[in-house]
Amino acid sequence: MAEAPLLQIRNLETYYGPIMAIRGVSLEVHTGRVVSVLGANGAGKTTLLKTISGIMDPEKGQILFEGREIQGREPHHIVRAGIVHVPEGREVFPLLTVEENLALGAYTRNDRAAIAHDRDLVFSYFPILAERRRQEAGTLSGGQQQMLAIGRGLMLRPRIMLLDEPSLGLSPLLVQEIFTILRRLNRDVGVTMMLVEQNAKAALDLADDGYVMELGRIVMSGTASRLKESEDIKNFYLGAHQASERGERRWKKKKTWR
Amino acid sequence: MNKYVTTPEQTVVRGVTVNAIPGQRPVLIDGCDTIPALFRDRARTYGPATAHREKKLGIWRSRSWNDYWNHAKWIGLALHHLGLKRGEVVSILSEDRKEWLYCDMGIQGIGGVSSGIYTTDSASQLEYILKDSDSRFLFVENEEQLDKLLEIPDGAPGVSKVIYFEREGLHELNDPRFIFIDDLYEIGRAQEAETPDLFDRAIDETRPGDLALLIYTSGTTGMPKGAMLSHENILAACESGLRALPSDSDTEQLCFLPLCHILERDASIYFPLTVRATVNFAESPETVFDNLREVSPHVFTAVPRVWEKIYSRVTILAQDATAIGRLAFRLSLRCGMKRAEAQLAGKPVPALLAAEYWVWDILVLRNLRRLLGLDRLRQGTSGAAPISPALLKWYHAIGVQLLEGYGMTENAGLASVNRLDANRQGSVGQAVPGVEIRIAEDGEVQTYGLNNFMGYWRNEEKTAETYTEDGWLRTGDVGELDDQGFLRITGRLKDIIITAGGKNITPAEIESRLKFSHFISDAVIIGDRRKFLTALIMIDQENVEKFAQDRKVPFSDFASLCRAPEVVEMIRAEVEQVNREFARVEQIKDFRLIDVLLTAEDEELTATMKLRRSFVEKKHKALIDDMYA
Repeated sequence: MAEAPLLQIRNLETYYGPIMAIRGVSLEVHTGRVVSVLGANGAGKTTLLKTISGIMDPEKGQILFEGREIQGREPHHIVRAGIVHVPEGREVFPLLTVEENLALGAYTRNDRAAIAHDRDLVFSYFPILAERRRQEAGTLSGGQQQMLAIGRGLMLRPRIMLLDEPSLGLSPLLVQEIFTILRRLNRDVGVTMMLVEQNAKAALDLADDGYVMELGRIVMSGTASRLKESEDIKNFYLGAHQASERGERRWKKKKTWR
Repeated sequence: MNKYVTTPEQTVVRGVTVNAIPGQRPVLIDGCDTIPALFRDRARTYGPATAHREKKLGIWRSRSWNDYWNHAKWIGLALHHLGLKRGEVVSILSEDRKEWLYCDMGIQGIGGVSSGIYTTDSASQLEYILKDSDSRFLFVENEEQLDKLLEIPDGAPGVSKVIYFEREGLHELNDPRFIFIDDLYEIGRAQEAETPDLFDRAIDETRPGDLALLIYTSGTTGMPKGAMLSHENILAACESGLRALPSDSDTEQLCFLPLCHILERDASIYFPLTVRATVNFAESPETVFDNLREVSPHVFTAVPRVWEKIYSRVTILAQDATAIGRLAFRLSLRCGMKRAEAQLAGKPVPALLAAEYWVWDILVLRNLRRLLGLDRLRQGTSGAAPISPALLKWYHAIGVQLLEGYGMTENAGLASVNRLDANRQGSVGQAVPGVEIRIAEDGEVQTYGLNNFMGYWRNEEKTAETYTEDGWLRTGDVGELDDQGFLRITGRLKDIIITAGGKNITPAEIESRLKFSHFISDAVIIGDRRKFLTALIMIDQENVEKFAQDRKVPFSDFASLCRAPEVVEMIRAEVEQVNREFARVEQIKDFRLIDVLLTAEDEELTATMKLRRSFVEKKHKALIDDMYA
């Protein structure tokens, strides 16, 4: 890819007090692509997203968005630049209605006609939200809240959406539904996405490119189709069963990330 | 014990009675002439005292000499009950743990031959060794290792029983061929009730010249060969070790390298048996540094890679310290370096410098050593591969006496070692007492002593090739002896490269110079029958990642790290640095980085993480062809 990446992260290091959560991460997201970052608990995925959206400050390294350094800037500057963070666990405003939540998503904008258009767009992708537009968000189901969180993010017309575990706590069917919508959003509206996930299968099916994080480092990267073929990914993330002569097997081969 | 017509004159070295003149027959250690006889003597004398410690559920638990003896005895008796005959081979496929030692002693006690297999070996390598050695029994650590046996197409039918140490995941196993170790002990106890003196009798029947161990050496070409070591070979090495190394009965040590390798086998089973030292088993290869700190051993034997890792850790720790801490560390290191230079050159240390060092030692260096677990260390030893002189000096500077030694499986692991009172850097020391070293006309290092092995298992042709006509062992290494008998190793005889221009080049010399760079973990020089020399280089992941991180060089995975132009340039500078020390025909014209992170399971690496020339040349042919295209 010759064009410069939309988002480029170089040698990022982030700490929680004395604990180094991200130990030198570099990655790229190109316009129009969907990039998945896989990893187990504590790999540093959420920290990575929080550092990009300005909630946390990095100790070292750069975050380049459209070629400009944005690391360490305040979150509201970063939102205005077009980076939207859909946090883990939805974090919708429970006492506000669906419509009010969406309106807050467009807080930085003042072009009313366009906002109304975008709200209709969200409703067309998530018809259930239209049905429940006047309902308090706290009374929605988990899947609906996730849809609302994504919809709220879309209201900003983001240049890139950072999605933190959109599949968390959702039934397989709902995960499939939401990921299908994400795919459509990417194809039809051209939203660039970076999502971190533990649900490797869903994430790799959706993504164009992928990275694997372990203990704050990237251990593997490549196109999603290449990652899906990797033995380590199959065994450790996609739950492939390693057969043995005895028919049962507890142990797993060491990871080599090739 | 056998009765000899004459017992040679005896002397006492650090509480152990040995022959007054080393290197003579019969080799006696406290009057014992075989390994199991010595083991029995230690168990009887020190019964309830601690022999090893193993960490279980976070607590170090002691095991006595009695435990050691009883379990070994039960294993030996049970194997006898199950049909093991004198001189037959039993293999052990396990990480280091106390049962490894129990098996080793039990097998030898009953007259069997003990053979260790690397846990990193593949199923096909396991198959080869089991069949080549005609193993009658196999001890496996756990489910993972057991599955390797099950992968062998015909199941290695020569192995009549397989005994496993860990039951997790194997409760469902219902096959009379597989026995849990506790059940084996039961068989041994029952046999003991029946024939209480059988194990003792078996020990008495063993002769010093009998085969004790079979050690498969990772041949760089072809299949591994089984080196045969007798009881006398091992006791001769123990006698030399007693005189050349500073261990005694108060010594604590840490066992963590594979026991299949002669270095750890000597250091953690036979030498401690001789001096009655206490061996602590590391929990796993990943926890070695924590275990080191907990145990704080008095002697520590490791391969250069481990010493390099400790160094890297300190450097990284120092950079993350406060500004004052960094300054103090830098100043104390500078003072330590000056002192080390004077000492290593054999000059007296000026009084002022000594006083300055004393202060830094109290303020900084002593704490550093405590942090690393090297505060009680009398001597650290490095072997199995060449170590960088700069690294030796650095350890000297922080107050750690790190000395280099030399040996190989074929001479029971010990031929020469530097000593605290006889140390010459860049050399591997003087010959140990009982061993003689000479340099042949073609430059080959040859050794002579009772530690020289019996030959290769069922391979008389190779055995004959390994000995000279007058009975000296051909090590295959090229080296020099200086005026005081210090040996310097320069290369491998077989690896000599003849370039297209007809020049002879010893690649090992260039390779070890490359390895002295902290960024290069190993290298292979290519150039046989070619116009010029090139190198395949394996980078040190940790240090190069740190380099990239510090210089803001973006990378994601290992392959992208190897691709980063800054990294390639940095390695090029390292290569050029090395080139300056060599003649024109020995210049490395080009190089490539091996961009996969190799593990011990890969056939390109030995168990001690050295690159294997033949496999590297085969597997990375594309990279090589690219350089000569």
